Amino acid sequence: MAASSPPGRAGRARSLIWAAAVLVALLYPIPFERSGYIYYETVGFLVLLNAMLGIGWNIIGGWAGQFDFGPSIFLAIGAYTAALLSIHLGVNAWLALLGAVVVSVGLCVALTYPVTRLRGHYFAIATVAMWMIAQPIGATWPFINGSQGLFIPVAPGGSFVHGMLTMEFPGRGKGLGFYYLSLLLFVITLLGARAVERSKLGFYFRAVRDDQDGAEAIGIDSRLYKVIARCLMAAIFAAGGTLYGFWALAVFPDQVLEVNWNILPMMAAVVGGLGRLWGPALGAIILIPISQVMTATLGAGPLAGRGIDLIIYGAVIMLIAGWRPNGLLSLPWAEWAARFRGRAPAQPVKG
Amino acid sequence: MAALLRVERCTKRFGGLVANRDVSLTIEAREIVGLIGPNGAGKTTLFNCISGALHPDAGRIALNGTDISRARPERVCHLGIARTWQVVRSFGRMTVLENVICGALQRTNRMGPARTRALELLDFTGLAGKEDVVAAALTLADKKRLEITRALATSPSLLLLDEAMSGLTPLETTAAVELVRRIHHGLGLAICVVEHVMEVVMPLSHRVVVLDHGEKLTEGPPAEVARDERVITAYLGDRYRGRA
Amino acid sequence: MTLLLQAVADGLQMGLLYALVAVGLAIIWGLMEMINFAHGEFMMLGMFGAWGLSVSLGWDPLVSMVPIAVLMYGGGVLVYRLLMQRVQRGEVFTQIFATVGLLFFVQNGVVALFTSDYRFVEKSFLTGLSGANITLGGLRIGVPLLVGGLIALALFLILYLLIDRTDFGLALQATAEDRDAAMLVGIRPQRMYAVAWGLGTALVAIAGVILANFFSVYPQAGLSFTVLAYAIVALGGFGSILGTLLAALVVGVVQSVTAAYLPPAFKDAFVFASYILIGLFRPQGLFGRF
Repeated sequence: MAASSPPGRAGRARSLIWAAAVLVALLYPIPFERSGYIYYETVGFLVLLNAMLGIGWNIIGGWAGQFDFGPSIFLAIGAYTAALLSIHLGVNAWLALLGAVVVSVGLCVALTYPVTRLRGHYFAIATVAMWMIAQPIGATWPFINGSQGLFIPVAPGGSFVHGMLTMEFPGRGKGLGFYYLSLLLFVITLLGARAVERSKLGFYFRAVRDDQDGAEAIGIDSRLYKVIARCLMAAIFAAGGTLYGFWALAVFPDQVLEVNWNILPMMAAVVGGLGRLWGPALGAIILIPISQVMTATLGAGPLAGRGIDLIIYGAVIMLIAGWRPNGLLSLPWAEWAARFRGRAPAQPVKG
Repeated sequence: MAALLRVERCTKRFGGLVANRDVSLTIEAREIVGLIGPNGAGKTTLFNCISGALHPDAGRIALNGTDISRARPERVCHLGIARTWQVVRSFGRMTVLENVICGALQRTNRMGPARTRALELLDFTGLAGKEDVVAAALTLADKKRLEITRALATSPSLLLLDEAMSGLTPLETTAAVELVRRIHHGLGLAICVVEHVMEVVMPLSHRVVVLDHGEKLTEGPPAEVARDERVITAYLGDRYRGRA
Repeated sequence: MTLLLQAVADGLQMGLLYALVAVGLAIIWGLMEMINFAHGEFMMLGMFGAWGLSVSLGWDPLVSMVPIAVLMYGGGVLVYRLLMQRVQRGEVFTQIFATVGLLFFVQNGVVALFTSDYRFVEKSFLTGLSGANITLGGLRIGVPLLVGGLIALALFLILYLLIDRTDFGLALQATAEDRDAAMLVGIRPQRMYAVAWGLGTALVAIAGVILANFFSVYPQAGLSFTVLAYAIVALGGFGSILGTLLAALVVGVVQSVTAAYLPPAFKDAFVFASYILIGLFRPQGLFGRF
């Protein structure tokens, strides 16, 4: 629902926060570029990438209410399609991204339509099953070089601008370049999601989530809209996969199908407020740095490996679920903000 | 004989239980038909078969000549039948306005016209002023009103109301009956009402159909049906036979 | 042809073990329409328990089966009381989430404590029987797996009798059918649910103990068993105990035959694919009645 800015001080405060956020986003990597701490640019890149994927997951999980536990298959499909197009046909990265999206959506339709009759747990398990089937395929299929992986060639030379146009940064500037590429894709995804949210699609997704039978009775083809929702997610994951592939310059099955691609986007969406447009961004900003810090501090010690952050995620999820069994769909950021400002939280009005 | 809805020998079984057996009825355009019968008579099952939530095991259901016996619910709605549910349903996390917009989107793809239509209908059914209330927070009476408004937004030619008055106070019931009359007058649809409250369904209906144990017992003008011995027996048992 | 028959024979034996893995899920599902994403993790805990007790105290898994079962029963009840009881009344989404969180927590807890290395139960009664075979009309039936399968079958039948023939089992079924009516006759649903969770967890942990004799023990072992168990429960018709047994045998055979003809990485692929297809063609399962 279009929220008109409240007049007066609240409105001005909101605009200020907006402006500040945009500035931070645009200028964030500059100091690190200057000082040579490229690592932090990469963290920014990962935040934006996962935020973007989180928005994608939000469409099927938060809006349509269908729990997808294996979205990484679309990341993998996207990465491989883009890599193959680039390697065998020399296609430019952005065109490869388009191709990746098309292939991913096509496969999504084929894979999702059969399982749309499944609800709740059963749909979720079906998505896990798909992910598990994808793994041996990825590891053994000769067309994509199996577990040996694919390597994306990078032409030498090239300016920064050239890099932005081809996603190739042979020299310095890679961290910076991919930060801005991911920022660009994130913004595009966000704007696209916002448009969907306000459109017939957005309404219909939420109807299917809230009451599938009731939705069908007012003319909504729940199967169709579940497929569409998942395809939107597949498109976003494919784009993310392309970006990731060109960043890593290699596509390996165990990396693109890695369990973290299933978990992090979903976690980002949940922690940031499931169903809310800005939720995944907020969640990613919170989660990724925590994960990085944990990797850094526990680095080479006996607790190395990503086990610890998943333990914490698991505990967080259980706490949230146990604490708000009926409200997982929206952690009450709005209520808290109201309380913080000293006002009693409003009656259940849309906010 | 262009009946709007024609149900021919609808039969529906659940395992060993025959919920509907050879039930036939017609509904003409602009008619209000009451569907009554004791608990377990098969009224809601019949509604479910008509609206596509269930498919009959035998028999045929046609709307304006089109066979909808095996149609999916969304297609049935598209063809012009809308319904409400015995246990009220709404999209709990969406606002009142958003709920109705979902209904209106059945007939248009654009948000502007959908919104306008939704606002008009909310005004018509008496929910004006509550557009931004989250549906889950409504009172029962308002939830039922919302459910009806949402159904109307799909521009049906036939509206099925399943026990729309249950759980309402006498004051709320009067308001609800007035709403049904207003809908009938103002929008000219056919309405089929399943109801237990006799004081409601009899004055409202042009014609009443009685189900008992899955079969159609009789049908006719309300006054006749109310005096029918078999109907009285079905509701009250043998002891009351002959006391009409 | 012999290859096929051998695969079928092997598959049937594995199927008996799978039945034990799946039946806990079937009980929880049949009773509460609640399914546990972390189901396989409890099996994995059973495996680790067997390995741990074998390595540190030299206990044979067939012996440690008992204390592990008791412990895991308590664990299941605890999980129910602390977590699932709260989310039971909430949206389905939250229920899924809660058990997913449990999955992350348990699996990675084990990773943190033991690393992801593969472990093996070196010496046990069953591994000691390794190499002993029964020959049956040209088919070779390994004794260890056969014994393991028979133990699983025995437990399965005990469970079936428990559910079908005792008052307690009757109370469970009553609660599953109509919770409120059950309350009216004095059954406490929460207690039934807690017991169901305890039983389900204990059974799958026992399955893990037995499986530890044959498979490597590592933290990630659980998830594919969870999906396998789901497939079995779905094929078997959701909560039908005998249906679960039959479905498990079918799955065991499918998996075994697949492994005989395709690269080993694909052995689960067919099972998972059939789960997806079941949803499309026969949602009530192979043996479900509707």
